[in-house]
Amino acid sequence: MKADNIHHPDAARAFLTDRARASWHDQAIWFVRQKRDVQAKQLPEWEELRKLAEQIKAHTLSKLDDYLIQFEENARRNGVTVHFAADAAEHNRIVHQLLAARQVKKLVKSKSMLTEECGLNPYLEERGIEVIDTDLGERIVQLRHEPPSHIVMPAIHLKKEQISELFHEELGTEAGNNDPTYLTHAARANLRQHFLSADAGLTGVNFAIAETGGVVVCTNEGNADLGTALPPLHIASMGIEKIIPKLEHLGVFTRLLARSAIGSPVTTYTSHFHRARPGGEMHIVIVDNGRSDILGNPDFYASLRCIRCGACMNTCPVYRRSSGHSYSYVIPGPIGSTLGPSRDIKKHGSMAFACTTCGSCSNVCPVKINLHEQLILQRKRAFDAGTLKPAKKMGLLAMRFLTQHPALMDAGGKAMRKVVPILPAFVKDGTAWSRPGRDLPEMPEHSFKELYRRRQEDKQ
Amino acid sequence: MSSSRDAILAKIHRNRPGGPALPDIHAVPFITFDDKFAAFAGLIRNLGGEAIWLADGQSVADVVAQRWPKTGRTVDLTTMQHEEVFTPHDWHDVDVAIVPGELAVAENAAVWISHPDNIFRSLYFLTEKLVMVVPKDKLVDTMRDAYGQITLREHGFGAFISGSSRTADIEQSLVMGAHGAMAALVIFC
Repeated sequence: MKADNIHHPDAARAFLTDRARASWHDQAIWFVRQKRDVQAKQLPEWEELRKLAEQIKAHTLSKLDDYLIQFEENARRNGVTVHFAADAAEHNRIVHQLLAARQVKKLVKSKSMLTEECGLNPYLEERGIEVIDTDLGERIVQLRHEPPSHIVMPAIHLKKEQISELFHEELGTEAGNNDPTYLTHAARANLRQHFLSADAGLTGVNFAIAETGGVVVCTNEGNADLGTALPPLHIASMGIEKIIPKLEHLGVFTRLLARSAIGSPVTTYTSHFHRARPGGEMHIVIVDNGRSDILGNPDFYASLRCIRCGACMNTCPVYRRSSGHSYSYVIPGPIGSTLGPSRDIKKHGSMAFACTTCGSCSNVCPVKINLHEQLILQRKRAFDAGTLKPAKKMGLLAMRFLTQHPALMDAGGKAMRKVVPILPAFVKDGTAWSRPGRDLPEMPEHSFKELYRRRQEDKQ
Repeated sequence: MSSSRDAILAKIHRNRPGGPALPDIHAVPFITFDDKFAAFAGLIRNLGGEAIWLADGQSVADVVAQRWPKTGRTVDLTTMQHEEVFTPHDWHDVDVAIVPGELAVAENAAVWISHPDNIFRSLYFLTEKLVMVVPKDKLVDTMRDAYGQITLREHGFGAFISGSSRTADIEQSLVMGAHGAMAALVIFC
């Protein structure tokens, strides 16, 4: 779980002290964005697909209670038990009761940002249940006792040397062997034993189909499949917004998800679960935990269309240069920076400013969420809620005053254009402009207003 | 428990925004492939797999034996008389699993697996090598076509499987064989 007091600019500054490392992080993630572009360009219908996905999700949200009821009925008919949880605490209680009633000692989990949001792992561990995250990246961060830094690539903030060291200590791999294939196969052997000895498996949900009452889980590793095919109990935890109306709609979403997420045409496994394996039982826990509040907010409800592909993170110039751990909310990047502040503006206010408003996130989003526009609206809320640090608040108030007084703005601009070029270097010391990679722009001779006016005169 | 259910649904009903009608996903033309097998085979090579178009007189067993001359425990679900087990864990040491696939998708090298006569699906994920056997006339262009044709035959379970199990969680280096099959072979016959 994340610490409560993360302030994005401070955390980002700490991350950026290791320049080489930060540059590697930036490039590694940009590479994924480029792979996404290659996939998108291969499909002439890409933009039409995004539009379809947006419309299906927008339609579903407009009738979400109806579709949830339909899903619940069909799941029950299939023999699956459906539970509803109003908040994280209720979700954790339901899961624990299911496990405790069956004397479960070991639970294998596949990737689920929802259980991260709910703090399920520590809750279960305090009650004596061993929880094993089985996605390789999640297993790595679990062993390091830290949260994932990306929703699709949980350990992207780490170098292989760190993972090698971790595995040497935890799994007994050779010291100094940093080969990703060797390390992956060592984790495979270790986790295989956990799969075979687990008493229950828990998965997240990518899509829940109202028409059939089934859930779909997408992985490349096959961990969700092993975790549900072996133990007798399968629990699937899902947010209320995971619903899609019909099976055929997967013909849109499965075409977008992996291409947007990792630049692959599809995940290795796209698995459809409608019943437990023979001799087993299956439960689905449907969680609200603040989502219905967001649904009622006209500025932000579109964020519930999200299919958690992470494309917005991979393209974001701020995310790539600050890493997921710099964001206070469990989901980082552009989508997290609207979901987090929607949930708790006081705690996550700084996330709304982790944005250049370039709009790249909105352009790659497979369900066309207006992310950068939402972040601007979240900034307003952050200001109104008094979450800004004094210097930033004063700066904004001064800017507001200036923009409301054009004559003063002109005079100020003129003074700045004259003074900045002759400033002695020491004046910049200790300010943002003294940091590596940043410099004051060269001052033009004339303001835009002056240039524009002259041009108008020339025309006449 | 039920009170939470009713309260959540009531709140969603109160808060739900307006929205468009459900779009017709068939109204938009999707990509088609002149040579679906070539597209499928080209893709799966980069996904830890291989695709074979069975020649006349050649059998699935021939292809498997050629590909892997020495194999351990082999389970063949394409035959009527196949091995059965009593727990899903009993498949833990399978080396080669040969399973029927209902159809294959050209755009992403995925095969739909949902077998009415298989009891424990753990076989597909525990095996070291997964061989999927698909009828030659069951190759479609896109996932939209696939979803129009598939059936959930196996205890409510079915999966699209594309290539072998893989991960890039360590420094974005692609490694085959994360948890599931280390190798995948798709035979069209």
